[in-house]
Amino acid sequence: MSDSTPAIEIKDLVYTYGRAEAVHGLNLTVQPGRCYGLFGRNGAGKTTTMKCVLNLLRPRGGTVRLFGLDPSTHEVEVKRRLAYVPDHVAFYPWMTVRETLDYLASFRDRWNRDTERGLLDRFRLDPGQRTAALSKGQRTQVALVAAICPEPDLLLLDEPTSGLDPIVRREFIETVIGAYQEGGPGKRTILVSTHLISEFEGLIDQFTIMDRGRDILALDADQARNRYQKIRARFTGAPPDTVFPGALHVRRNGRELELIANGGGPEIVERLRGLSPESLTSEALTLEEVFVATLK
Amino acid sequence: MTAGATMLLQINFKSGMPVYLQVVDQIKTAAASGAIQSGEAIPSIRPLAEELRVNRNTIAKAYTELESQGIIESIPGKGCFIKPNNSPLKKEVRRKLLTEEIDQVIVQAHHLQVPPSEFLNLVRERLAVMDERQRSNETPKSP
Repeated sequence: MSDSTPAIEIKDLVYTYGRAEAVHGLNLTVQPGRCYGLFGRNGAGKTTTMKCVLNLLRPRGGTVRLFGLDPSTHEVEVKRRLAYVPDHVAFYPWMTVRETLDYLASFRDRWNRDTERGLLDRFRLDPGQRTAALSKGQRTQVALVAAICPEPDLLLLDEPTSGLDPIVRREFIETVIGAYQEGGPGKRTILVSTHLISEFEGLIDQFTIMDRGRDILALDADQARNRYQKIRARFTGAPPDTVFPGALHVRRNGRELELIANGGGPEIVERLRGLSPESLTSEALTLEEVFVATLK
Repeated sequence: MTAGATMLLQINFKSGMPVYLQVVDQIKTAAASGAIQSGEAIPSIRPLAEELRVNRNTIAKAYTELESQGIIESIPGKGCFIKPNNSPLKKEVRRKLLTEEIDQVIVQAHHLQVPPSEFLNLVRERLAVMDERQRSNETPKSP
Protein backbone atom coordinates (compact mmCIF):
# COMPACT_ATOMS: atom_id res chain seq x y z
CA MET A 1 0.00 0.00 0.00
CA SER A 2 1.40 3.37 -0.90
CA ASP A 3 1.23 6.14 1.68
CA SER A 4 -1.30 8.06 -0.36
CA THR A 5 -3.92 5.29 -0.25
CA PRO A 6 -6.71 6.63 1.97
CA ALA A 7 -7.55 4.59 5.05
CA ILE A 8 -11.21 5.11 4.19
CA GLU A 9 -12.71 6.22 0.90
CA ILE A 10 -16.47 6.45 0.55
CA LYS A 11 -17.99 7.51 -2.76
CA ASP A 12 -21.67 8.21 -3.42
CA LEU A 13 -22.73 5.81 -0.68
CA VAL A 14 -26.43 4.97 -0.70
CA TYR A 15 -28.28 2.89 1.85
CA THR A 16 -32.00 2.83 2.49
CA TYR A 17 -34.06 0.93 5.04
CA GLY A 18 -37.35 2.41 4.04
CA ARG A 19 -37.08 4.10 7.47
CA ALA A 20 -35.87 7.50 8.61
CA GLU A 21 -32.16 6.76 8.92
CA ALA A 22 -30.56 6.34 5.52
CA VAL A 23 -27.61 7.51 3.48
CA HIS A 24 -28.11 9.30 0.17
CA GLY A 25 -24.87 9.83 -1.76
CA LEU A 26 -22.25 10.32 0.97
CA ASN A 27 -18.65 11.13 0.08
CA LEU A 28 -15.86 10.97 2.62
CA THR A 29 -12.10 10.38 2.50
CA VAL A 30 -9.88 9.76 5.51
CA GLN A 31 -6.12 9.84 5.04
CA PRO A 32 -3.94 7.55 7.16
CA GLY A 33 -2.90 8.98 10.51
CA ARG A 34 -5.80 11.39 10.78
CA CYS A 35 -8.40 11.58 13.48
CA TYR A 36 -11.57 12.16 11.51
CA GLY A 37 -14.87 13.27 13.00
CA LEU A 38 -18.23 12.35 11.54
CA PHE A 39 -20.75 14.77 13.00
CA GLY A 40 -24.48 14.67 12.63
CA ARG A 41 -27.70 14.85 14.56
CA ASN A 42 -29.44 11.69 15.67
CA GLY A 43 -30.77 9.99 12.57
CA ALA A 44 -28.38 11.77 10.18
CA GLY A 45 -27.02 8.42 8.99
CA LYS A 46 -23.78 8.16 11.00
CA THR A 47 -24.34 4.64 12.31
CA THR A 48 -25.54 3.41 8.91
CA THR A 49 -22.34 4.81 7.39
CA MET A 50 -20.24 3.08 10.07
CA LYS A 51 -22.02 -0.20 9.42
CA CYS A 52 -21.36 0.08 5.69
CA VAL A 53 -17.67 0.74 6.43
CA LEU A 54 -17.65 -2.37 8.64
CA ASN A 55 -19.43 -4.40 5.96
CA LEU A 56 -22.24 -5.11 8.40
CA LEU A 57 -24.57 -3.56 5.83
CA ARG A 58 -24.22 -3.97 2.08
CA PRO A 59 -24.42 -0.56 0.34
CA ARG A 60 -27.27 -0.17 -2.17
CA GLY A 61 -25.12 2.15 -4.21
CA GLY A 62 -21.69 3.72 -4.36
CA THR A 63 -18.42 2.30 -3.08
CA VAL A 64 -16.60 1.86 0.21
CA ARG A 65 -12.85 1.20 0.21
CA LEU A 66 -10.67 0.58 3.25
CA PHE A 67 -6.92 0.73 2.63
CA GLY A 68 -7.87 0.61 -1.04
CA LEU A 69 -9.76 -2.68 -0.61
CA ASP A 70 -13.43 -3.54 -0.93
CA PRO A 71 -14.50 -4.74 2.54
CA SER A 72 -17.10 -7.10 1.08
CA THR A 73 -14.62 -9.03 -1.07
CA HIS A 74 -11.53 -8.65 1.18
CA GLU A 75 -13.33 -9.09 4.45
CA VAL A 76 -10.57 -10.81 6.41
CA GLU A 77 -7.76 -8.61 5.13
CA VAL A 78 -9.71 -5.50 6.01
CA LYS A 79 -11.03 -6.67 9.38
CA ARG A 80 -7.65 -7.74 10.70
CA ARG A 81 -6.53 -4.13 10.32
CA LEU A 82 -9.41 -2.45 12.12
CA ALA A 83 -11.22 -2.37 15.44
CA TYR A 84 -14.61 -1.03 16.36
CA VAL A 85 -16.19 0.37 19.50
CA PRO A 86 -19.97 0.70 19.12
CA ASP A 87 -22.44 2.76 21.08
CA HIS A 88 -24.01 -0.26 22.78
CA VAL A 89 -21.43 -2.82 23.77
CA ALA A 90 -22.54 -6.39 24.31
CA PHE A 91 -20.44 -9.33 25.54
CA TYR A 92 -21.30 -12.90 26.46
CA PRO A 93 -22.72 -12.27 29.92
CA TRP A 94 -21.40 -15.50 31.44
CA MET A 95 -17.78 -14.72 30.58
CA THR A 96 -15.48 -12.82 32.91
CA VAL A 97 -13.52 -9.76 31.71
CA ARG A 98 -10.43 -12.01 31.46
CA GLU A 99 -12.27 -14.65 29.41
CA THR A 100 -13.82 -12.02 27.18
CA LEU A 101 -10.46 -10.46 26.36
CA ASP A 102 -8.85 -13.88 25.76
CA TYR A 103 -11.77 -14.82 23.53
CA LEU A 104 -11.45 -11.61 21.50
CA ALA A 105 -7.64 -11.92 21.40
CA SER A 106 -8.01 -15.39 19.85
CA PHE A 107 -9.33 -13.75 16.65
CA ARG A 108 -6.32 -11.46 16.36
CA ASP A 109 -2.81 -11.87 14.92
CA ARG A 110 -1.45 -9.50 17.50
CA TRP A 111 -2.39 -8.62 21.05
CA ASN A 112 -0.30 -6.32 23.19
CA ARG A 113 -0.37 -7.80 26.71
CA ASP A 114 1.49 -4.83 28.23
CA THR A 115 -1.09 -2.41 26.86
CA GLU A 116 -3.84 -4.68 28.16
CA ARG A 117 -2.38 -4.80 31.67
CA GLY A 118 -1.85 -1.04 31.70
CA LEU A 119 -5.39 -0.28 30.61
CA LEU A 120 -7.07 -2.77 32.96
CA ASP A 121 -5.14 -1.06 35.76
CA ARG A 122 -5.98 2.40 34.61
CA PHE A 123 -9.69 1.61 34.35
CA ARG A 124 -9.57 -0.33 37.64
CA LEU A 125 -11.28 -3.28 35.94
CA ASP A 126 -11.43 -6.59 37.79
CA PRO A 127 -10.48 -9.37 35.34
CA GLY A 128 -12.47 -11.90 37.39
CA GLN A 129 -15.75 -10.03 37.13
CA ARG A 130 -18.49 -11.39 34.88
CA THR A 131 -19.35 -9.01 32.04
CA ALA A 132 -23.04 -9.22 33.01
CA ALA A 133 -22.15 -7.31 36.19
CA LEU A 134 -20.31 -4.46 34.43
CA SER A 135 -21.74 -0.96 34.23
CA LYS A 136 -22.24 0.68 30.83
CA GLY A 137 -19.05 2.66 31.34
CA GLN A 138 -17.07 -0.45 32.25
CA ARG A 139 -18.41 -2.35 29.24
CA THR A 140 -17.24 0.49 27.00
CA GLN A 141 -13.85 0.41 28.72
CA VAL A 142 -13.51 -3.34 28.09
CA ALA A 143 -14.49 -2.76 24.45
CA LEU A 144 -11.84 -0.05 24.19
CA VAL A 145 -9.18 -2.33 25.67
CA ALA A 146 -10.21 -5.00 23.16
CA ALA A 147 -9.99 -2.46 20.33
CA ILE A 148 -6.57 -1.07 21.25
CA CYS A 149 -4.64 -4.24 22.18
CA PRO A 150 -4.59 -5.66 18.61
CA GLU A 151 -2.92 -2.37 17.54
CA PRO A 152 -5.12 -1.88 14.49
CA ASP A 153 -4.36 0.63 11.72
CA LEU A 154 -7.91 1.94 11.91
CA LEU A 155 -10.07 2.55 14.97
CA LEU A 156 -13.79 3.08 14.35
CA LEU A 157 -15.71 4.71 17.18
CA ASP A 158 -19.48 5.04 16.86
CA GLU A 159 -20.88 7.43 19.48
CA PRO A 160 -18.42 5.86 21.91
CA THR A 161 -18.97 8.20 24.85
CA SER A 162 -22.70 8.83 24.76
CA GLY A 163 -24.39 7.84 28.00
CA LEU A 164 -21.12 7.71 29.97
CA ASP A 165 -20.26 9.85 32.95
CA PRO A 166 -17.80 12.73 32.45
CA ILE A 167 -14.87 11.00 34.18
CA VAL A 168 -15.20 7.87 32.04
CA ARG A 169 -15.57 10.04 28.92
CA ARG A 170 -12.42 11.95 29.75
CA GLU A 171 -10.45 8.75 30.41
CA PHE A 172 -11.77 7.27 27.19
CA ILE A 173 -10.42 10.14 25.12
CA GLU A 174 -7.10 10.25 26.97
CA THR A 175 -6.71 6.53 26.29
CA VAL A 176 -7.37 6.96 22.59
CA ILE A 177 -4.73 9.71 22.49
CA GLY A 178 -2.23 7.95 24.72
CA ALA A 179 -2.45 4.21 24.25
CA TYR A 180 -3.80 4.09 20.70
CA GLN A 181 -2.01 6.95 18.98
CA GLU A 182 1.28 6.14 20.72
CA GLY A 183 1.88 2.96 18.72
CA GLY A 184 2.46 4.20 15.20
CA PRO A 185 2.76 7.96 14.97
CA GLY A 186 1.24 9.16 11.74
CA LYS A 187 -0.19 5.74 10.96
CA ARG A 188 -2.99 5.20 13.45
CA THR A 189 -6.22 6.38 11.89
CA ILE A 190 -9.41 7.15 13.79
CA LEU A 191 -12.95 7.66 12.52
CA VAL A 192 -15.24 8.82 15.29
CA SER A 193 -18.93 9.54 14.88
CA THR A 194 -20.40 11.67 17.60
CA HIS A 195 -22.72 14.48 18.48
CA LEU A 196 -20.72 15.21 21.65
CA ILE A 197 -18.38 17.31 19.56
CA SER A 198 -16.76 19.50 22.21
CA GLU A 199 -15.18 16.53 23.98
CA PHE A 200 -13.38 15.46 20.85
CA GLU A 201 -12.49 18.99 19.78
CA GLY A 202 -8.74 18.69 20.40
CA LEU A 203 -8.45 15.20 19.01
CA ILE A 204 -10.19 15.76 15.70
CA ASP A 205 -8.11 17.20 12.89
CA GLN A 206 -10.65 16.83 10.08
CA PHE A 207 -14.39 16.33 9.99
CA THR A 208 -17.50 15.91 7.90
CA ILE A 209 -20.88 17.18 8.97
CA MET A 210 -23.66 15.01 7.66
CA ASP A 211 -27.34 15.78 7.52
CA ARG A 212 -30.14 13.59 6.24
CA GLY A 213 -27.73 11.11 4.73
CA ARG A 214 -25.54 13.61 2.91
CA ASP A 215 -22.17 15.22 3.60
CA ILE A 216 -22.82 18.92 3.79
CA LEU A 217 -19.46 20.21 5.01
CA ALA A 218 -15.97 18.69 5.14
CA LEU A 219 -13.13 20.74 6.62
CA ASP A 220 -9.86 20.72 8.46
CA ALA A 221 -10.53 21.57 12.14
CA ASP A 222 -8.03 24.46 12.35
CA GLN A 223 -9.34 25.79 9.05
CA ALA A 224 -12.92 25.68 10.31
CA ARG A 225 -12.03 27.60 13.46
CA ASN A 226 -10.24 30.15 11.30
CA ARG A 227 -13.08 30.54 8.82
CA TYR A 228 -16.08 30.67 11.12
CA GLN A 229 -16.17 33.66 13.41
CA LYS A 230 -18.66 35.10 15.82
CA ILE A 231 -18.57 38.89 15.63
CA ARG A 232 -20.31 41.04 18.23
CA ALA A 233 -20.76 44.79 18.08
CA ARG A 234 -22.57 47.07 20.51
CA PHE A 235 -23.73 50.50 19.41
CA THR A 236 -24.79 53.58 21.32
CA GLY A 237 -28.17 53.43 19.62
CA ALA A 238 -29.99 50.79 17.61
CA PRO A 239 -27.66 48.73 15.39
CA PRO A 240 -27.58 50.01 11.78
CA ASP A 241 -29.53 48.10 9.15
CA THR A 242 -26.41 47.51 7.08
CA VAL A 243 -26.46 44.30 5.07
CA PHE A 244 -23.38 42.15 5.55
CA PRO A 245 -22.72 39.88 2.61
CA GLY A 246 -21.06 36.67 3.73
CA ALA A 247 -22.67 36.63 7.17
CA LEU A 248 -24.35 33.30 7.90
CA HIS A 249 -26.59 34.53 10.68
CA VAL A 250 -27.35 38.02 11.88
CA ARG A 251 -29.03 38.62 15.22
CA ARG A 252 -30.07 41.96 16.65
CA ASN A 253 -30.71 42.30 20.33
CA GLY A 254 -31.27 45.81 21.66
CA ARG A 255 -28.10 47.77 20.93
CA GLU A 256 -26.19 44.62 20.04
CA LEU A 257 -25.52 43.00 16.73
CA GLU A 258 -24.19 39.46 16.47
CA LEU A 259 -23.01 37.93 13.21
CA ILE A 260 -21.65 34.54 12.30
CA ALA A 261 -19.16 34.88 9.46
CA ASN A 262 -18.18 32.03 7.18
CA GLY A 263 -14.97 33.39 5.73
CA GLY A 264 -14.78 37.13 5.21
CA GLY A 265 -14.72 37.76 8.98
CA PRO A 266 -11.98 40.42 8.80
CA GLU A 267 -13.93 42.36 6.12
CA ILE A 268 -17.08 42.33 8.24
CA VAL A 269 -15.08 43.51 11.27
CA GLU A 270 -13.63 46.34 9.13
CA ARG A 271 -17.09 47.43 7.96
CA LEU A 272 -18.45 47.34 11.47
CA ARG A 273 -15.55 49.40 12.73
CA GLY A 274 -16.49 52.02 10.15
CA LEU A 275 -19.88 52.30 11.85
CA SER A 276 -18.17 53.37 15.11
CA PRO A 277 -19.51 50.79 17.53
CA GLU A 278 -19.10 51.17 21.28
CA SER A 279 -17.43 47.77 21.41
CA LEU A 280 -16.44 45.19 18.84
CA THR A 281 -15.23 41.65 19.45
CA SER A 282 -14.68 38.61 17.32
CA GLU A 283 -13.88 35.03 18.25
CA ALA A 284 -13.58 31.72 16.45
CA LEU A 285 -16.43 29.24 16.58
CA THR A 286 -15.72 25.93 18.26
CA LEU A 287 -16.41 22.84 16.15
CA GLU A 288 -19.67 22.37 18.01
CA GLU A 289 -20.71 25.92 17.15
CA VAL A 290 -19.71 25.37 13.51
CA PHE A 291 -21.93 22.29 13.57
CA VAL A 292 -24.88 24.23 15.00
CA ALA A 293 -24.37 27.19 12.62
CA THR A 294 -24.22 24.84 9.63
CA LEU A 295 -27.40 22.97 10.49
CA LYS A 296 -29.42 25.92 11.76
CA MET B 1 11.08 20.56 40.11
CA THR B 2 10.10 19.00 36.80
CA ALA B 3 9.27 21.08 33.76
CA GLY B 4 5.79 19.55 33.55
CA ALA B 5 4.91 21.09 36.88
CA THR B 6 5.98 24.60 35.98
CA MET B 7 4.59 24.67 32.48
CA LEU B 8 0.86 25.00 32.26
CA LEU B 9 -0.42 25.18 28.74
CA GLN B 10 -3.93 26.13 27.86
CA ILE B 11 -5.61 25.60 24.53
CA ASN B 12 -8.26 28.07 23.50
CA PHE B 13 -10.36 26.81 20.62
CA LYS B 14 -12.02 30.21 20.29
CA SER B 15 -8.81 32.05 19.45
CA GLY B 16 -8.96 30.95 15.81
CA MET B 17 -5.24 30.18 15.98
CA PRO B 18 -4.19 26.67 14.90
CA VAL B 19 -3.80 24.49 18.00
CA TYR B 20 -0.19 23.54 17.25
CA LEU B 21 0.76 27.24 17.00
CA GLN B 22 -0.82 27.89 20.39
CA VAL B 23 1.49 25.24 21.84
CA VAL B 24 4.49 26.76 20.02
CA ASP B 25 3.68 30.26 21.27
CA GLN B 26 3.10 29.23 24.86
CA ILE B 27 6.33 27.26 25.07
CA LYS B 28 8.22 30.18 23.50
CA THR B 29 6.66 32.53 26.05
CA ALA B 30 7.50 30.16 28.91
CA ALA B 31 11.11 29.99 27.70
CA ALA B 32 11.36 33.76 27.20
CA SER B 33 9.95 34.52 30.66
CA GLY B 34 12.17 31.95 32.31
CA ALA B 35 9.26 29.77 33.44
CA ILE B 36 11.27 27.00 31.82
CA GLN B 37 15.02 27.53 31.89
CA SER B 38 17.43 26.55 29.16
CA GLY B 39 18.53 22.96 29.53
CA GLU B 40 15.27 22.05 31.26
CA ALA B 41 13.12 19.27 29.84
CA ILE B 42 9.69 19.95 28.43
CA PRO B 43 7.00 17.26 28.73
CA SER B 44 7.19 14.48 26.20
CA ILE B 45 4.55 14.29 23.51
CA ARG B 46 2.27 11.62 24.90
CA PRO B 47 1.63 12.97 28.42
CA LEU B 48 1.19 16.51 27.11
CA ALA B 49 -1.25 15.35 24.41
CA GLU B 50 -3.20 13.35 27.00
CA GLU B 51 -3.27 16.21 29.48
CA LEU B 52 -4.49 18.74 26.92
CA ARG B 53 -6.65 16.10 25.26
CA VAL B 54 -5.39 17.02 21.83
CA ASN B 55 -4.21 14.82 19.01
CA ARG B 56 -0.63 13.70 19.59
CA ASN B 57 0.16 14.65 15.99
CA THR B 58 -0.64 18.24 16.95
CA ILE B 59 1.93 18.21 19.76
CA ALA B 60 4.45 16.45 17.50
CA LYS B 61 3.93 19.18 14.90
CA ALA B 62 4.43 21.90 17.52
CA TYR B 63 7.67 20.30 18.74
CA THR B 64 8.97 19.96 15.18
CA GLU B 65 8.27 23.66 14.69
CA LEU B 66 9.98 24.59 17.97
CA GLU B 67 12.98 22.51 16.98
CA SER B 68 13.24 24.14 13.56
CA GLN B 69 13.06 27.56 15.23
CA GLY B 70 15.92 26.55 17.49
CA ILE B 71 13.87 26.88 20.70
CA ILE B 72 14.15 23.25 21.75
CA GLU B 73 16.35 20.33 20.90
CA SER B 74 15.31 16.73 21.00
CA ILE B 75 17.81 14.21 22.28
CA PRO B 76 16.88 10.70 21.15
CA GLY B 77 15.92 8.51 24.09
CA LYS B 78 16.00 11.44 26.51
CA GLY B 79 13.34 13.86 25.41
CA CYS B 80 13.06 17.51 24.44
CA PHE B 81 14.98 20.32 26.12
CA ILE B 82 14.98 24.09 25.97
CA LYS B 83 18.07 25.26 24.11
CA PRO B 84 20.31 28.01 25.42
CA ASN B 85 19.13 31.30 24.03
CA ASN B 86 21.56 31.62 21.13
CA SER B 87 19.55 32.24 18.03
CA PRO B 88 21.20 30.57 15.06
CA LEU B 89 19.99 33.42 12.85
CA LYS B 90 22.09 36.41 11.91
CA LYS B 91 21.35 39.69 13.58
CA GLU B 92 19.82 41.30 10.43
CA VAL B 93 17.54 38.28 9.95
CA ARG B 94 16.45 38.42 13.57
CA ARG B 95 15.73 42.14 13.26
CA LYS B 96 13.77 41.60 10.08
CA LEU B 97 11.62 38.85 11.63
CA LEU B 98 10.88 41.04 14.61
CA THR B 99 10.16 44.05 12.39
CA GLU B 100 7.40 42.14 10.64
CA GLU B 101 5.78 41.26 13.96
CA ILE B 102 6.08 44.82 15.22
CA ASP B 103 4.50 46.18 12.02
CA GLN B 104 1.50 43.97 12.58
CA VAL B 105 1.07 45.22 16.14
CA ILE B 106 1.40 48.82 14.93
CA VAL B 107 -1.39 48.25 12.40
CA GLN B 108 -3.50 46.69 15.14
CA ALA B 109 -2.79 49.66 17.44
CA HIS B 110 -3.88 52.04 14.70
CA HIS B 111 -7.19 50.23 14.26
CA LEU B 112 -7.76 50.16 18.00
CA GLN B 113 -7.07 53.90 18.07
CA VAL B 114 -4.15 53.60 20.46
CA PRO B 115 -1.92 56.64 19.76
CA PRO B 116 1.87 56.14 19.29
CA SER B 117 2.87 57.59 22.68
CA GLU B 118 0.44 55.34 24.52
CA PHE B 119 1.56 52.42 22.38
CA LEU B 120 5.22 52.98 23.30
CA ASN B 121 4.31 53.21 26.97
CA LEU B 122 2.45 49.94 26.68
CA VAL B 123 5.50 48.28 25.11
CA ARG B 124 7.70 49.52 27.98
CA GLU B 125 5.15 48.29 30.48
CA ARG B 126 5.07 44.82 28.92
CA LEU B 127 8.87 44.63 28.77
CA ALA B 128 8.93 45.44 32.46
CA VAL B 129 6.34 42.71 33.20
CA MET B 130 8.36 40.16 31.24
CA ASP B 131 11.52 41.24 33.01
CA GLU B 132 9.82 40.90 36.39
CA ARG B 133 8.55 37.43 35.51
CA GLN B 134 12.00 36.39 34.35
CA ARG B 135 13.51 37.55 37.62
CA SER B 136 10.93 35.84 39.78
CA ASN B 137 11.52 32.60 37.86
CA GLU B 138 15.23 32.62 38.48
CA THR B 139 15.49 30.15 41.27
CA PRO B 140 18.31 30.97 43.70
CA LYS B 141 20.87 28.21 43.36
CA SER B 142 22.63 26.95 46.43
CA PRO B 143 26.44 27.08 46.15
